[in-house]
Amino acid sequence: MKSQNLVLRIFLGLYLAVFFGYLLGPLIIMGITAFNSPGFPRATPWECLTFEWFDVLANDKRIMNGLKNSLIVGSGTVVLSVALGLAGALMLTQIYPKLRATFYTVVIAPILIPGVVLGISTLVFWDRLNIMLGFSGDSFLHNGIFLTILGQSTFIASYCMLVFLARLQRYDTGLTEAALDLGATNVQAFRKILVPFLMPAIASAAVLAFLASFENYNTTTFTFGKYPTLTIELAQKVRYGINPSISALAFTIVVLTIFAAVVHEVSQRRKQLALANGAPISAVGGSFQLPGFLRGNPAAIVLLVLTVGAVATISFASTYSPEACKVDVREQKRELQKQQIEKIQQQRQQQKLDKALQGPNIFGPDKSKVAPAPGAAPQSPGKGAFGGVFAPGNLDKATPKPESKIESPGKGTFGNVFAPSNLGEPAPEAPK
Amino acid sequence: MNIASIFKGFINRNGWGLGSYLLIAVGFWLIILIILPQLSMLDFSFRHHLPPPEMGGPKDTYTFEHYKFLALGAQGADQSYNVVDLGVFVRTLVAAFFVTILDLLLCYPLAYYLGQASGSGYTRILVLFLIIPYWVNEILRAFAFRIIFGDSGVINEMMMTMGLIDNPIDFIRDNIALYSGLGYAYILLMIFPMYNVIESLDRNQIEAARDMGAPWWRIHWRIVIPYAKPGISSGCTMVFMLSAGALAAPQILGGPSSLWFTQIIYQWFNQGGNWPRGAAYAIVLLTVCIVIVLSAMRLFKVKMGDIGK
Repeated sequence: MKSQNLVLRIFLGLYLAVFFGYLLGPLIIMGITAFNSPGFPRATPWECLTFEWFDVLANDKRIMNGLKNSLIVGSGTVVLSVALGLAGALMLTQIYPKLRATFYTVVIAPILIPGVVLGISTLVFWDRLNIMLGFSGDSFLHNGIFLTILGQSTFIASYCMLVFLARLQRYDTGLTEAALDLGATNVQAFRKILVPFLMPAIASAAVLAFLASFENYNTTTFTFGKYPTLTIELAQKVRYGINPSISALAFTIVVLTIFAAVVHEVSQRRKQLALANGAPISAVGGSFQLPGFLRGNPAAIVLLVLTVGAVATISFASTYSPEACKVDVREQKRELQKQQIEKIQQQRQQQKLDKALQGPNIFGPDKSKVAPAPGAAPQSPGKGAFGGVFAPGNLDKATPKPESKIESPGKGTFGNVFAPSNLGEPAPEAPK
Repeated sequence: MNIASIFKGFINRNGWGLGSYLLIAVGFWLIILIILPQLSMLDFSFRHHLPPPEMGGPKDTYTFEHYKFLALGAQGADQSYNVVDLGVFVRTLVAAFFVTILDLLLCYPLAYYLGQASGSGYTRILVLFLIIPYWVNEILRAFAFRIIFGDSGVINEMMMTMGLIDNPIDFIRDNIALYSGLGYAYILLMIFPMYNVIESLDRNQIEAARDMGAPWWRIHWRIVIPYAKPGISSGCTMVFMLSAGALAAPQILGGPSSLWFTQIIYQWFNQGGNWPRGAAYAIVLLTVCIVIVLSAMRLFKVKMGDIGK
């Protein structure tokens, strides 16, 4: 039984490793490319540690403009979809029971409708409304920001509604009734009882709505008009020519995300601790410095490590200059290129030599048989003294019949050198 | 109970201010944002492709031209069916189906593990790790996969240095990059519905089954999976619909020879400039996806109300 448990544990560990490798690996690799100096985002080969891509990013006007548009659209979407989602959730709690299933299906449908369809339908509808009302082509109904907010809110409001519904399930309607009995008006009961109860849900719905709006592409790509959001700009950059400044942006977003998530986690944890101990929340405030608190809280440790890492990186970045390294790499590359050029030149010379030597043999029966067996070919190009002969160009003409080659030895001037038996071994007389 | 009295009761319960807010907001959302645009798109897809001044004119009549084009292709074409577009359509649906299955197989064990071991700090960290990639932009996630799978990407470079291969493998052309990117993009939507349901499963049931000698696979088959069915189906539905309707990942990770159906729609809108035809294609995509999802739900006996829990 115990050994079975161990096997199970190993399997579980392996599975978790694979799963989270798949989940986090791409982000980590992308993060690495943000610090590598080649102009195309790549993690290998590692060349120089550089921070220039963050500079490039900060100076990219289109990205910054996209960011601005994204923020505008995001805030509009948050307001609209939280309002709509809240109304939808409240409506669902008091709607005529027979209608409830239908209503739920209709308001939940936008989550399932492909974003492309939502974007198109929004665009088509407002465009036709515009024509119907006889407005000009640049009225506000054609405004990219207006359309994008509406298109995104259509489905983001459904997300918000789900958040509210989850919270409302735990609501005791007796509270509202009590308030009404005690003489509160409807609005008062709503404002003083229900809204405070829903406050956490409103906050998380707002965060969710903002994130969903910020990263939306499918809907926005049809509605953005003259106001491309950050995602649209990114997509265009990724599709047409990229440099690692995109990685730098991704890295920034990931770090901010982790930071926000960890801060949230820590505060959550602190609240739980406080509640568990029966203490008011304020009492555990400031426990961050206590090592005892850190011991039980991996999230806080992560936060600490992150902060230290960030400070270290920034101070390092302000003193470190990648120029020297870059020059080095350029030098290395030039050296490599030189070597390659030399190699090619040598090959050419050898080829000439070969041809000159082979000249008399052209009429010999071995012309086609000189080529090596196809199987041996990949090892030879450029390496052997007779590189040119083995060049891929010759292979096309080569007869793929090794047997016929066996007949040839001794007929050509070079005789045995080309015999298949020689090809298996490292080529003789390799140049340096 | 007629409409007037329902309305009166509603206003009585909520008061004028709140009541009208609810009515206006819900009405706006339902009618202006959801229903009318869809109807207008449906209507638009039956129109001729006309320049704006002629819209509403005598030529603006209803037509099946665009649906015909999707099914039969351009008039006078070699084939009697629109092989290209229909082929892309079928391939998109099949690929979305396989992405869904892949995600389900990948996520079920983790959802079960998290759901059963819930509460400890360790699992909270795991959940955090799950959420972080989801907060990163869809485009950037796809881009990360391009860095990994590209010709000079990490995998190719690594295999070449290790001497496993001589020439880079074209993962993009083989669509491997696309499928992994799509699967990656919607992992969270698969895992959370399942996790939520499995979390509420009473552990005693599993222990009882184990005490009575059921092997682990039978415990899953007879207890966990039937219980988690709403979560599984809602996860599958979302992943299927979203990957069939994905646009970013195919645009960035798709090979040169393989289109996604949404890309064709996009082309009709942005490059072809034939909006009605794009709308018709979108309607077809939407309808077929809904039919597939509804029949799958009927097959597995799941209700619509379970979605989104």
